[in-house]
Amino acid sequence: MAMRASDKHRVRQRRVAHGLLMVISFSLMFVGKADILAWRNAQMGANDFLAPAIDFISIPVRGVETMVEGIRTVASLRAENVRLVAENDLLKRWQRRAEILESENRQLRSVTGALAPKGRVPLTARAVTAPGGSFAHTVLVSNGADKGVQPGNPVVTADGLVGMVVDVGASHSRVLLISDINARIPVILASSSWPGLTMGKNGTYLELAFLPEEAVPSLGELVLTSGHGGVLPAGLPVGRVDLVEKGFVRIKPAVDFRHLSFVSVLLGGLEGVDTNNLELEEFYTPLPIDENTRLLEGVNASGARQ
Amino acid sequence: MKKTGQYFEKAMEHSEVSGRFLIGFVGIILVLFEGALASWPIFYGAVPLLSLIFIYWMTLYHNKLMPFITIFIMGLLSDILFSDLIGGRATSYMLLVLFMNLRVTDPQDDEFLKVWINFVIAIIAVMLFQLIFFSAINFAIPSLSPMMFQIGVTLILFPISYIFLFAISNLLERIKVFA
Repeated sequence: MAMRASDKHRVRQRRVAHGLLMVISFSLMFVGKADILAWRNAQMGANDFLAPAIDFISIPVRGVETMVEGIRTVASLRAENVRLVAENDLLKRWQRRAEILESENRQLRSVTGALAPKGRVPLTARAVTAPGGSFAHTVLVSNGADKGVQPGNPVVTADGLVGMVVDVGASHSRVLLISDINARIPVILASSSWPGLTMGKNGTYLELAFLPEEAVPSLGELVLTSGHGGVLPAGLPVGRVDLVEKGFVRIKPAVDFRHLSFVSVLLGGLEGVDTNNLELEEFYTPLPIDENTRLLEGVNASGARQ
Repeated sequence: MKKTGQYFEKAMEHSEVSGRFLIGFVGIILVLFEGALASWPIFYGAVPLLSLIFIYWMTLYHNKLMPFITIFIMGLLSDILFSDLIGGRATSYMLLVLFMNLRVTDPQDDEFLKVWINFVIAIIAVMLFQLIFFSAINFAIPSLSPMMFQIGVTLILFPISYIFLFAISNLLERIKVFA
């Protein structure tokens, strides 16, 4: 049966609309990548608008997660108790060790001044979203420009570095995790002081690249931010060496991103150094390892410069 | 002078508007739900593509209620939420629906297994499209294992979602008839 003129017209209109949407969508891929300020602002505006909605929808989802977690905890209570007793014992030993090292650190700092923390103030923020796609590892956190968050602010937990703020909205910010494929963190190996660069792979682990040929990373060796570039402060734990194989060094991040709920955004520190604010030194100073003699900034454990 | 048939057509079309609006709303909620699911450690970095299942099922069985603009909005929203390549998911979803609209056979006659196999091809095509464009624009290939996991979980969830969507659809039909 032949189509009527009005039907033909409607079909044509629909095709034009479909084509237009396709062109818009396709060009968005390139516009988004071009890093246009107006586009980023629009994106963050949308995120500000969406964040409360997703937060609301997350309530039952989190409830189910908590319930499952509770059941699992009850099931493994005995094993957990044994593990906790052992862990408590280990932690006590570490506490004593930390006290000694802290005092040693303080002495070293007073001599060299190299590890003086910059004027950064931690701001607690809640992770509203978690990475859900395979192509980007970012999280949306509460607090934005209204609380003084700026792009470039490091984001940490007590375990170590989470990432860096890349986009700031009025009340929410987007954090690029160190596991994202676009994340490049200048680091040093804590015990041997060799510099390198961690690269995210959009997976669980990071790759440590650009290590000097002489560097021999050992398994379990701590990897810390080097502070090169001036954006991230030195001494934030990034992860530990997990695999060394034919020049390939794999890092397991210090932070378990699967359980990210609250983070600290380190405000300030991008313009100058506030030596009066020493709040963070207790948490984010590097932890030297016994067996190796080389230490951060070329000073060994006995205080001698290498 | 306009024929009376045209008025009936217009009225029919207008009666679908509320349904389309509702489907659009459900689609948006589903995308937000996907975002919420990412907070489960098991789905970290690889949330099942529930929105794709929904779009696929709707296009297959209720094509008229799934306008192109809804697919565009759903895709764009998930792009913004997951901060993927903005427009990547939207384009791939729309391309998939365009391709599905070219189908000659009546999907109602298809066996479930055939529908499932077609969905396997659809999801692989959607992910490949995004992977190719993402790699070309970023000059880097992301880790493939989360992608495999995402595809796998979505494929496992497909039959469950399929039955669930059919159940909801039948329920709505009954309510409609009853009303």
